[in-house]
Amino acid sequence: MNRLLVLFSIFSLYLYAITTDEIIKKVEDNLNGKTLTMTLSMEVYTKKTKRKMAMESFSVGTEKSFIKITYPKKSKGITFLKIGNSMWQYVPKIERVIKIPASMMLQSWMGSDFTNDDLVKESSISEDYNHELLLEDDNVYKLKLMPKDDAAVVWGKIIMNISKEYYLPAVVEYFDEDDELVRVLEYKDIKKFENKYYPTYWVMTPKTQDKIGHKTVVSIKNVQFDKDIDKSYFTKRALKRYSK
Amino acid sequence: MSPHYIIALKNIIRSKQRSIVTIVLSAVSTAILIFSTALMDGEHKVLLKSAVEIYPGYIQITHKEFRENPSFDNLIFDTNSVINKIRQKDDVDTVTSRFETFVLFATDEKSVGAMLAGIEPESEAKVSKLKKSLMEGSYLDSDDKNKVYIGSELANKLKVKVGDVISFIGTAADYSFCADNVKVKGIFQSGLFEFDANSAFLNKKYFDEIFVSSNISTHIIVQPSVIEDSLDISQDISKSIDKELTSKSWQEYMQALVDAMELDSVFGYITLGIFFIVIFFVVLIYTLLSIFSRIKEIGVLRAIGTSPKEILQMLMFESVVLSFVSVAIGGIIGGAVAYYFNINPIDFGSQFDEQFKQYGLVNTLFPTEFNLLVIFRDMAIMFFLNILSTLYPIMKVNRYNPVEAMHHV
Repeated sequence: MNRLLVLFSIFSLYLYAITTDEIIKKVEDNLNGKTLTMTLSMEVYTKKTKRKMAMESFSVGTEKSFIKITYPKKSKGITFLKIGNSMWQYVPKIERVIKIPASMMLQSWMGSDFTNDDLVKESSISEDYNHELLLEDDNVYKLKLMPKDDAAVVWGKIIMNISKEYYLPAVVEYFDEDDELVRVLEYKDIKKFENKYYPTYWVMTPKTQDKIGHKTVVSIKNVQFDKDIDKSYFTKRALKRYSK
Repeated sequence: MSPHYIIALKNIIRSKQRSIVTIVLSAVSTAILIFSTALMDGEHKVLLKSAVEIYPGYIQITHKEFRENPSFDNLIFDTNSVINKIRQKDDVDTVTSRFETFVLFATDEKSVGAMLAGIEPESEAKVSKLKKSLMEGSYLDSDDKNKVYIGSELANKLKVKVGDVISFIGTAADYSFCADNVKVKGIFQSGLFEFDANSAFLNKKYFDEIFVSSNISTHIIVQPSVIEDSLDISQDISKSIDKELTSKSWQEYMQALVDAMELDSVFGYITLGIFFIVIFFVVLIYTLLSIFSRIKEIGVLRAIGTSPKEILQMLMFESVVLSFVSVAIGGIIGGAVAYYFNINPIDFGSQFDEQFKQYGLVNTLFPTEFNLLVIFRDMAIMFFLNILSTLYPIMKVNRYNPVEAMHHV
């Protein structure tokens, strides 16, 4: 009898694992598509300042992406290339391509509340974390993501609320290794682009003492899924070439 | 002089061997104590002084929250008015502002994250050793543009020499992105390894254009006219500046280092203490033996009518004279050695180069501290230690009655 119970519980765990993995996989696919192009405008709020930036983004799955800043004038033409876990930046003013070193990955990206790491690593949620379903109701799955032992990740824990209707994230809470809430990313305003849904309004709110009053809001437009993107975007030469 | 004092002096002269051994023993330990103290104090002073003067400065003014949370929300937003206010004070020598930030430096081959700070070259030269630390090229000028003054180790990491161009990218005071190319004007080596490996400087006027930081700073550094008054002047400044800001003297913002030095002193004294307990017992046993060999003599003195009190006085006088002579000799030797190494600092360089680098030091010269007050204190300690160690044998021997004493073998 006992043995049967053990077998049964292993079996049910196995079932669960498949389910959460599937949820995450589906969410990742929905967020990234095969390829994805879009234009973003980003507003960065701090205690004393408010700034606006605009950019274009091209990406292939979670593996490669290319970002070009189009506004403000001061930053226009700055380009970013991400391939796998590496990231390069081109700055027209200094005419130089800079590889962002690992030590700078947690630094703020363009002065926003996103980090360089968000652009590079955000994608590996399905591979680097163990997933556990915390609760499920009519509208959301609440997943707890704990980093795998050997994974080189930044977060100690991630709690993800996933909309059942769209299989897209709604609220993601990021915790550090001491289980302190560091930041919250909200995905809102889901719109339909061709046959796919995509959240078009993101709000990143840091929760640490040193960032009180800070907030970064991203509005997304012109989302195009699975369009052929010229391969030349994902080379180091593209950084300079498409900067103009 | 009463006769038993004269007997005491005669005793000292008569038993030459005993006197010389006692004197040598305590003179040497006095000299060792004085020299060790001088060496330890000197070392701490060098460490603190260099830690303060190489870059941090004696008094720092920052936003109240800045130390806990060095974000661009916590800057000194009206730097000029604060500086003007402090400049009017009589006991202030120099005031200068800095804007420190963290950037990514890049050359064609390498990119390295490090501190980049905007400084006012002329007044900065008066509050820190930055200008004096120049190794190659030249120091900054107040009309320099696109020129950087860079730490030697950072230059090594980036593989650049004077005249080479490096780029930096960073975040401006308004959180916007900023970047520029700068030519290496000078390379400095301060002696603090970590500092040389992690910092570079620009003329603040030019820095302000790039980092949108005109009239904004992270630190205001104050050089007091009299360095020893730092704490008082800092408290005085705190009262007169905006409530958002705070002024801290080096003892306060380098509390950890000051504490570490004090802790190190405590361990130093414990080690010395163990050494002196050994010396104490050696002297005690030696005195015990030498006094016991004189029990017969003391018995005779008692028999001819000398009172125990007078015996005590006599023996104590012997002990005082011996201690005084030995402590004086030890003090002179110890003081002379301390003075010599004060003028000619000990160089720990050749053997311990690597260890020094690990502790963030390249300066390997350590002058001893020559302080008469400390020397007299150490002499007094040794003097009383000596007296104390002869007290027990003297009391013990005085307890015999004359007949017992005279029959003592």
